[in-house]
Amino acid sequence: MENLVLVPVFLPLVTAIFLFTQRNLIKESIVNIFTLSSSVISFLITSFIFITFTIEKFESYSVVLYQWTESPKIDFSFTLDGLSALMLLLVSGLSIFIQQFSTSYMSKDENYRKYFVYFNFFVFSMLVLVMSSNFLIMFLGWELVGLSSYLLISFWSSKTSASKAGNKAFILNRIGDFGFLVGLMFILNTFKSFDFQEVLHRANEIPVNTITVITLFLILGAFGKSAQFPLFSWLPDAMEGPTPASALIHAATMVTAGVFMLVRISPLLQYSETTSFVVLVIGLLTALISAFSAINQYDIKKVLAYSTISQLGFMFIAIGVGAYVAAVFHLLTHAFFKALLFLGAGAVIEALHHEQDIRNMGGLRKKMPLTAGMMGIGTLAISGIPPLAGFWSKDEILASIFSKGGIYLGFWALTLFAAVLTAFYMGRHWLLIFNSEPSKTIEDIHDAPRNMKVPLVVLGIFSIFIGFVNTPFFHGVEKLLHITLEEVEITHLPEGLTLVVLALISIGAGFAGLFLAYLIFSQNILQSKLFNNDGFKKLIKFIKEASFNVLYLNKIGNVIFVAGAKLFSKRVAVIIDSILIDGTVNLVANSFSKSAKITSSSQTGLVRNYVLYFGFFLIILVAVFIVTPLVGN
Amino acid sequence: MVEFLLFLVPASLVLIGALIVIFAQNPVHNAMGLVLTLISLAIIYITLNATFVAMVQMLVYAGAVMTLFLFVIMMIGVDKKEQSKESIKGQTLLVSGVLLVLISLLIYVAINSNFTWDLWFEAVQFDIEGTPQLIAGTLFTAWILPFEIISILLIVATTAAIALAYDTKKRKQHV
Amino acid sequence: MFEVTTDWYLSLAAVLFSIGFFGMMIRRNALIMFMCIELMLNAVNLTFIAASKHFGTIDGQVAVFFVLVVAAAEVVVGLAIIVSIFRKQSSASVDVLNLSRG
Repeated sequence: MENLVLVPVFLPLVTAIFLFTQRNLIKESIVNIFTLSSSVISFLITSFIFITFTIEKFESYSVVLYQWTESPKIDFSFTLDGLSALMLLLVSGLSIFIQQFSTSYMSKDENYRKYFVYFNFFVFSMLVLVMSSNFLIMFLGWELVGLSSYLLISFWSSKTSASKAGNKAFILNRIGDFGFLVGLMFILNTFKSFDFQEVLHRANEIPVNTITVITLFLILGAFGKSAQFPLFSWLPDAMEGPTPASALIHAATMVTAGVFMLVRISPLLQYSETTSFVVLVIGLLTALISAFSAINQYDIKKVLAYSTISQLGFMFIAIGVGAYVAAVFHLLTHAFFKALLFLGAGAVIEALHHEQDIRNMGGLRKKMPLTAGMMGIGTLAISGIPPLAGFWSKDEILASIFSKGGIYLGFWALTLFAAVLTAFYMGRHWLLIFNSEPSKTIEDIHDAPRNMKVPLVVLGIFSIFIGFVNTPFFHGVEKLLHITLEEVEITHLPEGLTLVVLALISIGAGFAGLFLAYLIFSQNILQSKLFNNDGFKKLIKFIKEASFNVLYLNKIGNVIFVAGAKLFSKRVAVIIDSILIDGTVNLVANSFSKSAKITSSSQTGLVRNYVLYFGFFLIILVAVFIVTPLVGN
Repeated sequence: MVEFLLFLVPASLVLIGALIVIFAQNPVHNAMGLVLTLISLAIIYITLNATFVAMVQMLVYAGAVMTLFLFVIMMIGVDKKEQSKESIKGQTLLVSGVLLVLISLLIYVAINSNFTWDLWFEAVQFDIEGTPQLIAGTLFTAWILPFEIISILLIVATTAAIALAYDTKKRKQHV
Repeated sequence: MFEVTTDWYLSLAAVLFSIGFFGMMIRRNALIMFMCIELMLNAVNLTFIAASKHFGTIDGQVAVFFVLVVAAAEVVVGLAIIVSIFRKQSSASVDVLNLSRG
């Protein structure tokens, strides 16, 4: 019974391997049957597991596959607890709809089968990560996710930009993984174990400074995987991959891994105020920078990419203030509406024959009513308009920050500003695509086909209602995570009137952002006489430029890291490499060939010369015996 | 006195035979010199109580091996004279140098040690008889592994000799 | 008058070996060189026999058999090589052979 957990984890791997081996499988419908049925089966089993898990009062249990090493005891094992059960359900559930969408989006692609191999492998990697019961298995999943995301991002590897984006994602993740790995070494050294149970239960016995060091290295890993400042620039570039793959990376897998890991180690994290503060500041910085960057992007997917980074920033903020439940809850709601937005964007791109520039779109509302509606739901959800999903989770995060008081009130204000920006750029996004006048007429635009419509509608419904699982009136997620976060002190929401006022403020923020977007991009308020002076125009231009170039962070990073490194390596190449290393190697090689030429002349091939050499050495031997008269004694 | 003569006569015959081997111009004479050396050595072996080894020396060396030598000499002919002129540059000089050093070393050792060899061990007082029983008793017990290995060497040598001497071209022409 | 000790036999072996070695250096006929090798091997045999008598053990005489077998094998292969070389260039001189020149 407990071993049933292994089925949803390994079924994607089996599917991936099976599809990989079937080289002659060209018919798309047969691939669809295999991949969809496997994901439906795994989803059904997951649901069954989840229901029994709920009935059994969320008692966690482990499945040991085999013992990896004896001392320190490391098992290859999986654990089902509230957190992993939630992630399991989320990943396997979303993967069905994204796959169904993919069957239509990827149709006619020459590497159709390969896409689903990678896709299933990605799902498997993520499930290994979330189901892991110790740090080492988690790291295994962590690396597998990195690998499979690389494969998916550079899926169209014939495009240079795609393979570059894949490399960028992989390398930036490596920086984070380095931190994670160092953290793991510290953990093994401190706790003599990798097991979550053991490590997390003994957290209070360890000096705070040690915990701070460990967690600081671990969050570096989370920053890399979850695209936080300063390791976030790979995520916008990752848009080179197929759109449904982006949806998977952004919604359910990959980027949420960092948040998941931080919640997993929350028993450690709560003891270290330094680390929590770092997480909070970095999260806030990321949320602001990426939200600001999103307001003037023109690529339909890049806007969404920056919005993902920004929302992940929100989750990190929540973790930083100790609102772990709120973070997981936001992860859950975000997964649905971000998947919806990406799939909607995919449908638009498909309908416009792979046009991605939103300046060339506009007025699509009449031609693609269903997609427009669903994207609208996603936009409202992410903006935090009640009663849609985003409102509940975002409000919970904001209220949690507020309840900490003191300096956190300033952070609360900044987070609120990020929320306004979120609503603004999402409003702009929707209005530019679906509402404003078409700047370029594209013929034969049709609404999404059935295989795209169904996932959109399902995700739309979820985006509306998923928020109700954890309202101030019904703490579903908190109950689920109760045992996992048993020893963790969670920041709770303020009570009564404060909460209502805070909710109203955050609703106001959402509406304000959307209204501003409506004024600017629908009513063209900036063109009116009110703002018709040069100073203001310059300001707008400056903001637009700064936003489009992501506050010039990439360029700064380029100058510091890339150009500096290039200069340094050029010097190294000239001095050390060509003179020192090559010189040594050449010297050795030349000396060998020269000495070989000299000594080879002694090899005359004449037997009697060899006899002479024999004579020389006979003399030497006799002389040795004479000089040392008792040799062998 | 008898003992001394029994050493001196065969020893001088050994050296004379050896000198014939290296100085005679006709290959047949060389071979005969070698036979002289081998037979004289066999006599010395008998004085050293190695009777069985002496018999084997006579049969195998002086008999079989020498027959082989003579056979090859007859086969490739004796009419060709060796060139007396040294063809390798500097060989004569080097040879004389090596010889000179070697001989002076030996003379030095001989004078230095007053014509006695420091053998480190005293000679035993009893004599052992090199009978076939004694030799076989050691050869087939303590030395059995080298014995088996050396038999493989003999087979390999025989095969190699056949492979080398078998002239495939001529064979094909005849067929 | 003179007591014949092991030293005498060893000296004889040394002289015999030197003669053989000298022959190796000065003769060019491959056959004669083989005979010189036989001389040197026999010098070694003589030391074995003398040592056997000196130490009163039979192992020295047993070792002679191994030298004998190796010598026989060497002569067989060597003479076969000489014959096949002679077929090619109708000369038994080793000086014309320098194929393995470095």
